[in-house]
Amino acid sequence: MLVTAGLLAAFVLVMRLGRDLGRDGVSGGGGGPAARGGQIVASIRGEPRTFNRYVAQDQTSEALSLLLQARLVRINRATFELEPWLAEKWESSPDGRTHTIHLRPGLTWSDGTPLTSADVLFSLRAIYDPKVESVLADSLTAGGQPLRAAAPDAQTVVVTFAAPSGRGVRLLDGLPILPKHKLEAALTAGTFASAYNTTTPPADVVGAGPFVLREYQPGQRVVLDRNPRYWRKAPDGSPLPYLDRIVLQIVPEQNAELLRIQSGETDLTSTELRPEDYVPIRRAEEEGRLRLIELGVGPDADALWFCLKPEVKGKDPRFAFVQRPEFRRAISYAVDREAFAETVFLSAAVPVWGPITPGNPNWFWPDIPRYPHDDDRARMLLREIGLEDRNGNGVVEDAAGTEARFTVITQRGIGWYERGTAVVRDELAGIGIALEIAPLELGALIQRLQACDYDAMYYRPVFNDLDPAANLDFWLSSGSSHFWNMSQKTPATDWERRIDTLMLEQAAELNPDRRIMQFRLVQQIMAENLPVLHFAAPRMYYAHSARLQGVVPSVLRPPVLWNADGLSVSQ
Amino acid sequence: MARFLARRLLFALVLVLVVSSASLVLARLAPGDVSAQLGPFASPTEIASTRARFGLDRSPAAQWTLWAGRALRFEFGESFLYNRPVRGLIGRAAANTAALAVVALAAATLLGIPLGMFTGSRRGAGAALVRGASLVFLSVPPLLTSLILVFIAATTRLFPPGGMTTAGALEVGWSAWLLDVAIHIPLPALALALPIAATFERLQSQSMTEALHQPFALAALARGVAPRDVIVRHAWRVSLRPICAVYGLAIGALLSGSFIVEFVTAWPGLGRLMYEALRARDIYLVAGCAAMGGLFLAFGSLIGDLLLAAADPRVRERQAA
Repeated sequence: MLVTAGLLAAFVLVMRLGRDLGRDGVSGGGGGPAARGGQIVASIRGEPRTFNRYVAQDQTSEALSLLLQARLVRINRATFELEPWLAEKWESSPDGRTHTIHLRPGLTWSDGTPLTSADVLFSLRAIYDPKVESVLADSLTAGGQPLRAAAPDAQTVVVTFAAPSGRGVRLLDGLPILPKHKLEAALTAGTFASAYNTTTPPADVVGAGPFVLREYQPGQRVVLDRNPRYWRKAPDGSPLPYLDRIVLQIVPEQNAELLRIQSGETDLTSTELRPEDYVPIRRAEEEGRLRLIELGVGPDADALWFCLKPEVKGKDPRFAFVQRPEFRRAISYAVDREAFAETVFLSAAVPVWGPITPGNPNWFWPDIPRYPHDDDRARMLLREIGLEDRNGNGVVEDAAGTEARFTVITQRGIGWYERGTAVVRDELAGIGIALEIAPLELGALIQRLQACDYDAMYYRPVFNDLDPAANLDFWLSSGSSHFWNMSQKTPATDWERRIDTLMLEQAAELNPDRRIMQFRLVQQIMAENLPVLHFAAPRMYYAHSARLQGVVPSVLRPPVLWNADGLSVSQ
Repeated sequence: MARFLARRLLFALVLVLVVSSASLVLARLAPGDVSAQLGPFASPTEIASTRARFGLDRSPAAQWTLWAGRALRFEFGESFLYNRPVRGLIGRAAANTAALAVVALAAATLLGIPLGMFTGSRRGAGAALVRGASLVFLSVPPLLTSLILVFIAATTRLFPPGGMTTAGALEVGWSAWLLDVAIHIPLPALALALPIAATFERLQSQSMTEALHQPFALAALARGVAPRDVIVRHAWRVSLRPICAVYGLAIGALLSGSFIVEFVTAWPGLGRLMYEALRARDIYLVAGCAAMGGLFLAFGSLIGDLLLAAADPRVRERQAA
């Protein structure tokens, strides 16, 4: 008993000491003026697989790339405006094919080596090298062709597009510039894809971003220190970034991430809050420990779609009616989107009728054809294609007796997916369409998706860029993200052929107003044929510690770290 | 004794081989593979290249043969999730899990055995309270215990809600680092230790009651030996046998319990590593973690046998034979 009592006493003593250490280690004061120096702790959900953004496209890699590397130009994630970055200015030819880019004078890499046009040329060479198999290569094309570049002098780069591109210089936001002097040997040797990996000594991971790598401990953290040679200055002329250090703590589980920020262990989370997290965070805000920000409506919405690949589903008797737009329109009429937003997102969502949400203001079309909740209209559409409840069992069937009964797969463990599929199932039961829900692990879900081995799927596809021309993989029938019928050799339907034509024209169009009009036509065709059904786009909320200053939140991920050089902590 | 140790070593090798091979093959046969980590809309080229890199374009048998050949040279392949050799990852994680297991086992022993001696030799409200608490901790799974402890930690801010060290505390000396680990370890250690402590308490309690009714204990009491001395000097040693017998199993339970506890409390150990590896279908990492887990189990079993031999001369004689 004495041993047990002693153990408990020691435990309490250590806890008290520990509480003090924890405070010294992370937490700062409350509010107050911004200051230079200090560190923040942000959580990230996944391990970095590499520090080479050219070969990885997960969220952690993108966040690290924004912190460690720099681009020629930057799309401001809050305003969506194009900003000069490593490039001080540029001129574009009237045909939109040639862009002369002038680098800022005096740019250096984090190791002190000058950053010149040779590094830009090297970066483009690396991206298009077939041995690298860069994940960025496809997004850095114009008319399906790689960009060509020349360097008349050390400060100038001339980038030539094979075809006009509506995105113009914005396209270069997707090109992190990497140092030729550190990586050229790897590119020549064919080992570039494994360069800047997680075992590379941190000092060798040279970049031009606001921070440099200090250490990576697998399963625990990534530590980044201020880059003393960073080129950007604050409005008062003082050097950026303000912070001395960012610690990215690896917390794979979202509940644990929430607890960390609530307890003051971390200052930032990696993603927006879930609807169910809003109340506890609001309480912490009222206590003055956290700040809660509404980012606005998110740019992505949950989606329901059926596999429409004739090669796979052609022999399924249900395909005869699933492929009819009337069937999908009936589903759209049957779902009460207001109630959906209320139930699935606990009212923190807005109804949507297409893949482009109000969170993408430049491309959102408020007048897109809508399907107001109307069960009678839905039943009428089903009758038009021969689907009626002939045997009185509550499920409609065609003349041959094939019932409209489907299994919808979704990702297991995601609250809003499970709520969303349940609401859709209940709504569709009202018009005689039976859905069974099968939540799956992500790996199994993806395997089914790629093989088109499913009836219907509920998921939230995320666009990498807000400009539709950057997401041709989704819009074009040949695209690998055209998920209802991926990688078609020739368009399976007339309406997909029309979308292909319009999207290719839109991507090459230089006039912004014409691009918008062309894209509205695309949205109209999508809304009429509904290969994918969208019901609501969530409002996004984000929380950070009250001591953090200079936060410019974005609906895109990472919501705050994209602008890390402007962050500071109050004294 | 040498023969006994040799038998144990052979058992450990077979266990490691079987467990890791089964994990590799099962993880390989489960739906989905590591290419899922590229996201739902990765291009076919990316998927094919990733599958080829990890040998998923071969048959499961061919892949196992290749892996087993390398494993004999202590090369367990490369982790997709961490993009580095599995060997280094499991070494570090196993050290963290071992530290957690040692603390949890010590806590379970120091809590469970004295409380079992108390409840086995006394009656009254105090003993009933301890017995009730033990039944509660025996019924509650480590997942729930760890969630409750994390919730208490986050709301009271008495101790950190997870991790092994304070995220922002860098560049600290060894003593400060050890103190930092000591602050973080109680939460996962308690989550693991409480059900085991409850098991020890129940076993020790029953065994103590039985020992106190044995003739030697009754005779000692009749001779006027103080009850405390009868319990501590005579009955306790005799009553230890069931505890020693389950010690090896307890080490195995610590490892299986650590899967979810390490995940919930963000302890960077073997359990969390394997959980993440399984989720990502990182099959070489799964196999590596399973091999290390098998080694832990074999080691735990050996410790249990040695403790049993120390407590019971009859077992010692059988082992020597």
